[in-house]
Amino acid sequence: MNGTTVRNGATVLLEALEAEGVETIFGYPGGAIMPFYDALYGHPIQHILVRHEAAAVFAAAGYARTSGRVGVCCATSGPGATNLVTGLLDAHMDSIPLVAITGQVRSELMGTDGFQEADVCAITQAATKWNVRISDPARIGETIAEAFAIARGGRPGPVLVDIPADMLKAAVEAASRAERRSESPAPRATAAAIADAAARIRAARRPVAIIGGGVRRGEAVAAYRRFVGMLGLPHCCTINAIGAGERGDPHDLQMLGMHGHKAANKAVQAADLIIALGMRFDDRVTGKPDRFARSAAVIHADIDPSEFNKIIAADVALPGDLETTLNALSAELERGRVPRFHDWAIEARTLGGPLPSDRVAPGVLSATDVLDRFFARVQPDAVIATDVGQHQMWAAQRVQPNHPRSFTTSAGLGSMGFGLPCAVGAAYANPGRSVYAIVGDGGFQMSLPELATLRRYDVPVKIVLMDNQNLGMVRQWQELFYSERYSATNLSDNPDFVAIARAYRIDAYALSDPDQADATLAHFIDAPGPALLHCMCHPTENVWPMIPAGQSIDELMEAKA
Amino acid sequence: MICDFSLRDSRTLARIINLAHRFTCDTVSVTANKAGSATQVRFAFEGPPVALVRLRAQIERIIASESPA
Repeated sequence: MNGTTVRNGATVLLEALEAEGVETIFGYPGGAIMPFYDALYGHPIQHILVRHEAAAVFAAAGYARTSGRVGVCCATSGPGATNLVTGLLDAHMDSIPLVAITGQVRSELMGTDGFQEADVCAITQAATKWNVRISDPARIGETIAEAFAIARGGRPGPVLVDIPADMLKAAVEAASRAERRSESPAPRATAAAIADAAARIRAARRPVAIIGGGVRRGEAVAAYRRFVGMLGLPHCCTINAIGAGERGDPHDLQMLGMHGHKAANKAVQAADLIIALGMRFDDRVTGKPDRFARSAAVIHADIDPSEFNKIIAADVALPGDLETTLNALSAELERGRVPRFHDWAIEARTLGGPLPSDRVAPGVLSATDVLDRFFARVQPDAVIATDVGQHQMWAAQRVQPNHPRSFTTSAGLGSMGFGLPCAVGAAYANPGRSVYAIVGDGGFQMSLPELATLRRYDVPVKIVLMDNQNLGMVRQWQELFYSERYSATNLSDNPDFVAIARAYRIDAYALSDPDQADATLAHFIDAPGPALLHCMCHPTENVWPMIPAGQSIDELMEAKA
Repeated sequence: MICDFSLRDSRTLARIINLAHRFTCDTVSVTANKAGSATQVRFAFEGPPVALVRLRAQIERIIASESPA
């Protein structure tokens, strides 16, 4: 046999996925991808049938976000493939490694407007790091290896592989295992740039480190904790890096930005040196860029050189993998006098204060109060996924995970409907750990069918539903910036969510009385298997602090003017 | 701004033109020639200076992870 055998393209595809270590695929079948599903029948790779293709890609992202491994999803041609687009762009924005496999109509039908034909490669070109259509079944193995290498290499991202049905059915004489493609070497900061950065840190009086999503790659978390610990450096994070600091570290000023902590935003504005690590100066972080950290020089470390000088000018640019860069910078600092910034870190902490919150009517449940109580009780190693909106920001302000891969959210794209399927993927990546989806009543209704996925596979995801009968974040902006003209944000006709969960045979708990919060949370957290906690919250509680869009990050509002 | 690139995937040409539009730049001319397995392309872009700098950085990012289709 000489290591070769004849099989069809679908079987070669599965073997290539196995060679990449894939254990779980999230997907939804359909006509053009049926040969692949036929090969999957009885195969050891686990396929999780979601109830909408959008959930497949969000679940694959949840798997990848919380494990660091490449997530895999699949869908059929046409509408199946186009339903993946939002999730692909979501992963692209947050640099999440994914491989999406889509069926395509038979080769001879392509370009004829055949049934369920869509030019998915053209459609997803700007939503993927790379995409490819297979035109030779003999290349399926090497293309899958290429797809995984590109998805995980450098700055990670999503890759789509489109495979016409005839390619999946074709006989292929292929090597039994695809050659694994070697990854391109990451860029590396020069010794001179590292020395320049170290000199600027030694000369600084009020440096602040800002860590971003780049910390999730490899072992950068340990390198980061060692770096900030060695210097006694005040540090804060973007939403993608919550958990990068050691839990309880007094120098951790936590999340900065539009709904970030006051101390983090004030310290950044007072800084004379910003050490930006694996972050991209998103507008939700910088506010008005020309008023961001005006007195500070900037050291910017990132694996993607295109991020340098994109929004904020870098005085020192350190290209490369964050772990490598931080270790080099720490070593360079240790070769001479190691500066200590404990006094500045203590001063920076005093720039903030407790999180402000709206006073809600007595006897009415406050969302922030429920979340405070929830995070005080939840398991320390729990994985938390959120949807998008007010609950996302309240959770991000309060959660204290032990690792940045333990808290995950749609940060860059802000895709509603993300939270529940993301938690499903996280549960498969983290067996034995508690997994929670914190969702709002708007986004939950975009992902309701996934209750069926929870039930079918008994996925132990617990859903904390913060129901304020509004599209709360939009309502908040309408209140503050659109003269209280509440256009299309009222959801007071919401369905009975407890009844819906029970219809899917999922345990459900209702909470509306603040006095019952602790007891209900205790039952919910201790409950086995999937469960829903429906929190009927005050409808007009707002997220504070808030920096209005386009304002400087020290112009934060702590209450309605 | 004149840019010369060697593309391993000729589809990237379309991606770059769309990217220029996203960055509020105009693609004022394109010359493309297949040379072996690569496509040699010369673009001329016009637009705000900051956008042109960002455009060039993003094109280089895309080309860095390009692979033949």
